[in-house]
Amino acid sequence: MTQPIRPSNAKVNSELVPATRVEGDAVLVTVRGEIDLHNSPELRNALLEMLNQRQPKRLILNLAQVPYMDSSAIAVLVEALQKLRKIGGKLYLTNLQPRVKGLLEIARLDTIFVLAATDDEALKK
Amino acid sequence: MSNAQAQKVHNISLRIQSDAADVPAARHAIESFYQSHGFDKQACEDVGLCLNEALANIIRHAYKEQPSRPIQIDAALSPDSELTIRIRDWGNGVNPAALPPTPAANDPLTPGGLGMICLRQMMDIVVFTPQPDGMLLEMKRKKRSPEPQNQQASAT
Repeated sequence: MTQPIRPSNAKVNSELVPATRVEGDAVLVTVRGEIDLHNSPELRNALLEMLNQRQPKRLILNLAQVPYMDSSAIAVLVEALQKLRKIGGKLYLTNLQPRVKGLLEIARLDTIFVLAATDDEALKK
Repeated sequence: MSNAQAQKVHNISLRIQSDAADVPAARHAIESFYQSHGFDKQACEDVGLCLNEALANIIRHAYKEQPSRPIQIDAALSPDSELTIRIRDWGNGVNPAALPPTPAANDPLTPGGLGMICLRQMMDIVVFTPQPDGMLLEMKRKKRSPEPQNQQASAT
């Protein structure tokens, strides 16, 4: 069953994180825009707040609308992964654009995050 | 192409401040500069990322997050299709290349060091030259041959 994050959690959503919804034990987060040193703290705050609130078993980040990330954004993803591992959760990245996937490969994180072509594929994993 | 044209060095200079908000515009400007001079998309994106990472290092480490400090960026394209980016800062002068390898070099889950890994993988030459009042970083990359075209298509 799909449900949007309830209104009391609406502050989680922003231009950078425009949509968040819950599906079973998974929280699906849509991220949008280029993410670099300037706005990665905003992504970090949004993800950590959501993780603290919901403690999901699975966090699925849809990156279809993220054409670019730098190392500061990668550091945010790693921090989210480590938080999830502490609560027995998993982090999935879906719909990766080539430039983002390339940086994950350079960082040797492409085999550490669970990558999926679509959100549905991630939900089935 | 005439000799005069062949020997012309194209360049662009940007002066920004040590503010993370200035980084995206500088990256876009440098990517556009090289794209307009015939570098392929992949090369421009690599150079843009390296510029981003170099600027992030300056803001975080050389200037220790102090705002409004100057950063000078000079990008050029030489006649033999080598691109050069020089980045000058007036920070603490610590040479990142002289620092011991970060744990990230061995453990991808340990933060730090990814920026330098990008510079070393994506650029052909990376040289940090300490200055009396800061640091000069020079990065070079040759224009690389395009991937071979589809053999069948090119034969027809």
